[in-house]
Amino acid sequence: MTGITALGLPEARRNEAAAVFRARGVPHRRVEEWKYSDLKSALGEAGIGAGQADLRISHLPSGVETFDLAGPNPPDWVREYFGLASRNVMSAASLSLSAGGTAFRVPRGLAVAEPLKFEFTGSGHVRGLVVLEDGASLTLVEGVTVDKFRNAGLEIVLGEAARLDHVRVSPNAGDAVLVEEVSVRIAQGGQYRAHFAAFGSKLSRMEVEIALEGEGAEAHLSGVALLDGKRHSDVTTHVIHRTVGTRSTQLFKHVAGGHAKAVYQGKVTVAKGANGSDSNQSAKALLLGENAEADLKPELEIFADDVKCAHGAAVGDLDAESLFYLRARGIPEAEARGLLLQAFLEDAVAEIPNTDLRELVRTELLTALKALV
Amino acid sequence: MLDIKNLHVSVGGKEILKGLTLSIQPGQVHAIMGPNGSGKSTLSYVLAGRAGYDITEGSITYNGEDLTALKPEERAAKGVFLAMQYPVEIPGVTTMTFLKTALNSQRRARGEPDLDAVSVLKQVRAKAKLLNVSEEMLKRALNVGFSGGEKKRLEILQMSVFEPKLAVLDETDSGLDIDALRVVAEGVNALRDPSRAMLVITHYQRLLDYIVPDRIHVLAGGRIVAEGGKELALELEAKGYEHILKEPA
Repeated sequence: MTGITALGLPEARRNEAAAVFRARGVPHRRVEEWKYSDLKSALGEAGIGAGQADLRISHLPSGVETFDLAGPNPPDWVREYFGLASRNVMSAASLSLSAGGTAFRVPRGLAVAEPLKFEFTGSGHVRGLVVLEDGASLTLVEGVTVDKFRNAGLEIVLGEAARLDHVRVSPNAGDAVLVEEVSVRIAQGGQYRAHFAAFGSKLSRMEVEIALEGEGAEAHLSGVALLDGKRHSDVTTHVIHRTVGTRSTQLFKHVAGGHAKAVYQGKVTVAKGANGSDSNQSAKALLLGENAEADLKPELEIFADDVKCAHGAAVGDLDAESLFYLRARGIPEAEARGLLLQAFLEDAVAEIPNTDLRELVRTELLTALKALV
Repeated sequence: MLDIKNLHVSVGGKEILKGLTLSIQPGQVHAIMGPNGSGKSTLSYVLAGRAGYDITEGSITYNGEDLTALKPEERAAKGVFLAMQYPVEIPGVTTMTFLKTALNSQRRARGEPDLDAVSVLKQVRAKAKLLNVSEEMLKRALNVGFSGGEKKRLEILQMSVFEPKLAVLDETDSGLDIDALRVVAEGVNALRDPSRAMLVITHYQRLLDYIVPDRIHVLAGGRIVAEGGKELALELEAKGYEHILKEPA
């Protein structure tokens, strides 16, 4: 741990995280939050190791400040915000084991027009930090490279009235074991929108914890998963409404064929005093075969009064009636199935505010659909 | 063009059509009338090739070919069209995308080249106008939020875009007020053609005031029990199905 001292990053936070991970160890299926994603068995004897993964920037728009987390003399904003989130076990692991990564800052009031593009890459552990100061706005496009095992921890801090659009596309990553833990804190009037498109791997887990800390803070999450073969994809969310007038929506659509497994676990907590909060959660899955699996687990924890919380989940098959209608109009069966799957996923994709990114996700889905049907 | 001989069809083990025989020539419009549960919709689904309808006896020949051996999409490409009683709502697919995909699928199956988006749009727009189908409807998801009349107009629009050789209209009049009925009937009449046959299935005589058939067949208990010219519809209207059903066919 001597290296961490040299970095000048908050050492106490790293130590605390190391203690959390030592106490809990690599999660497995008997740990409730990981019961659909047995990380321990997916990793086998190799375990999580102590390798160093990396954060690669593919497009840095002007106005965005960066700091190499492996470098000396971190600026105040990194000291203040880095490493605060270590509640989740794998986030604690990346915080204690990673010596690198990148931090980004968008200064107060700056609206960055071009998207910031980066990807976590390599095997091992890595961290990222994105800070949007009051009134700043940014679009974040996150790619995912295929490697043996990666555990990435990303912290996002949104100041008052800051606005972040986050789109992550996780390709079909074969035998890779990919874990990413994102934690988001949103101040008054801030807004976080995220879309996660997942094509799965041996084990893929995207876990997001969002704290709506300031009045009127909002989070809108959507996502699609399209899985085949033996691929797995898990999106686990926890949205915490900490104060009055906060809003959150979630819309996830998952499709699993072959022996694939699509997981959605979504927990919404409305804390004491967060009166007038509004949350809506919807998760739907289509199964394309008898051996495919979808697990949908929406959860609500309410400690406040006068809140509006709705949640729904449904697993089904392609509608036979619709399939016949399309075929009776001359559309061959495989194409008709593809069209219906596309249609099923579309409302979640439509949540992506940026037109180019929406098209990008649609194109990825179309390519994957062709292989699936 | 269409020859149905001694057709027996079961659905879930229950026999619905019990020896139906019917023949239609190009250029003709035939009507099938009958009370609820007589097997009218079963006949239309069997012609379009829906799964779950077991043909236990008899044959359906279409232009000399065994229609029952073809998949629904193959029948469509060969010119069979069913305007459905309950058009399906498909959220996420716009009406225009659907029309283009279907038209080009049919063309591809016939070995014709795809039409580009602009030519399809042009063709659809011109035809949509005649049927009072708005530009806005074409942009919306297929049938989603459409009224009963809008759905039926869209079915007829599809018929005019796909230009089938055999069109089966299953209770196209159901749920329509008199103005909507007139628009739909005009659309259908505009498609009457010496090379095209139509089979109009209806419970009520009303539709046949607007689409005047060459021949009427009365279907009851899974069989044709009476046949005649267009005047048969008026007789049915005046005396009801009971009257006909009592007489030996």
